[in-house]
Amino acid sequence: MKVLMKPIEMIALFNSKEKPIPLRYRIVDEDNTYKVIKVDRIIFAKEEKLAGNRMIFYRCKSKINNSERIYELKYEIDTCKWFLYKI
Amino acid sequence: MNERIIFHIDVNSAFLSWEAAYRLQHGEKVDLREIPSIVGGDESKRHGIVLAKSIPAKEYGIKTGESVYSAKQKCPHLTVVPPNYERYMKASNSMVNLLNEYSPYMQRYSIDEVFLDMSHIKDKGFLNIAYEIKDRIKEELGFTVNIGISSNKLLAKMASDFKKPDRVHTLFPNQIQEKMWPLPVEKLFMVGPRTQKKLNGRGIFTIGQLAKLDREYVYSWLKKPGILIWEYANGIENSLVKCAADPVKSIGNSTTTSYDVTERREAHMFLLALSEMVAMRIRNIHQMGRVISISIKDKDFFSYSHQKKLDAPTDSTKVIYETSKKLFDEIWDGKPIRLFAISVSELYSNEFFQLSLLNNYNQKEENLERTIDKIRCKYGYNSIIRSCFLHSGIKPIIGGVTMEEEYPMMSSII
Repeated sequence: MKVLMKPIEMIALFNSKEKPIPLRYRIVDEDNTYKVIKVDRIIFAKEEKLAGNRMIFYRCKSKINNSERIYELKYEIDTCKWFLYKI
Repeated sequence: MNERIIFHIDVNSAFLSWEAAYRLQHGEKVDLREIPSIVGGDESKRHGIVLAKSIPAKEYGIKTGESVYSAKQKCPHLTVVPPNYERYMKASNSMVNLLNEYSPYMQRYSIDEVFLDMSHIKDKGFLNIAYEIKDRIKEELGFTVNIGISSNKLLAKMASDFKKPDRVHTLFPNQIQEKMWPLPVEKLFMVGPRTQKKLNGRGIFTIGQLAKLDREYVYSWLKKPGILIWEYANGIENSLVKCAADPVKSIGNSTTTSYDVTERREAHMFLLALSEMVAMRIRNIHQMGRVISISIKDKDFFSYSHQKKLDAPTDSTKVIYETSKKLFDEIWDGKPIRLFAISVSELYSNEFFQLSLLNNYNQKEENLERTIDKIRCKYGYNSIIRSCFLHSGIKPIIGGVTMEEEYPMMSSII
């Protein structure tokens, strides 16, 4: 996996109990088109607070271009921003 | 009372470690701690000094406090990152929260140093706890600390300064001779370059040599501060771990200007901007001050100061500004200036105060200032500013490192 740390647009579910659940997101491709990716499975999620900055880390699995890919997302609590961390 | 157990937790190259951890979290591949790097101020604004350095940078002889320019000469491929005090506050707060789980007796000594009273731990269990704290901070928060352990704050602080990074050291009174006395005397807390020079001048080069001097001799030579460092050299210090901060004795702010100020009007504007900050901070802690002092530094780094005691204490921006303007006009000889500072001392509570027959007291003005404070507090410092600052290029409120948040500064009182 390669580190990208790319800001992404996200649709997520915030329920009353758990951490926010990422559902689908879109990224801008090399040819400047949007690509929507549905999050098929969250393998695990954990909170990290490096240097006191709280982020929720997710390792997820999705079907991208007809192949199963594992990748990592991050949600920064202070700024409410989602990132594609590694793919 | 049994012997106390005091921990001193000190973050290794704090600003730099926090910046490095933050950057790693945001996907940066290089760890700043592993390359020669510094946190440095903006050279173009003349704030260009080294605030923190990595251990590889230290090997090039770079020192905290020297200019970024000379640091770059010592190491041409040096990485310089700008400071970000809000990030540091966040990191520091997260560490304080973690430490709070271990003991309620905690003193936040500065942004990166904390004293913990762990006397409730029986036997030798404290060592395991120190390692646990150190490892948890590293694991959860992503930076390393040194922990010094002893029976008082001074020795604990000395111990955390031994070998770095990521270590636990003890320095109990029976270890002073072996661990502290061989160190050079300038390593001792409160011995600065001037005292070092004096001590060296009489052949005192190690802490041990200072400790073995006769107390009376030290007193006759260096007076009260001498006794203090003599006691420190002997490991004598018994202040408590203070949970509440000491009462504030004075409030001041200063600024190094990004260019040399030659116009009187501009100088007055800098003073006004500083007065805004100082007065707001005084009102914020419900105090009023009587002595107003200003100091300026000219382009040749020569500083001078001047102060005045008012008839009645004040917390008014206007009075502080008018007084500092007068003081300034009295001492300024027209030389270009690079630094302004205003400080207000001899503080009193603002619950009730003596009015002066000779001065005007205007309730309306006081209400106005309090209202402005509230607006600024709610909508930001720049939500309401004086019109003279419009298009002037001078910030309307100057001073302090973080906007809108109190920042724990260093103190010489342990």
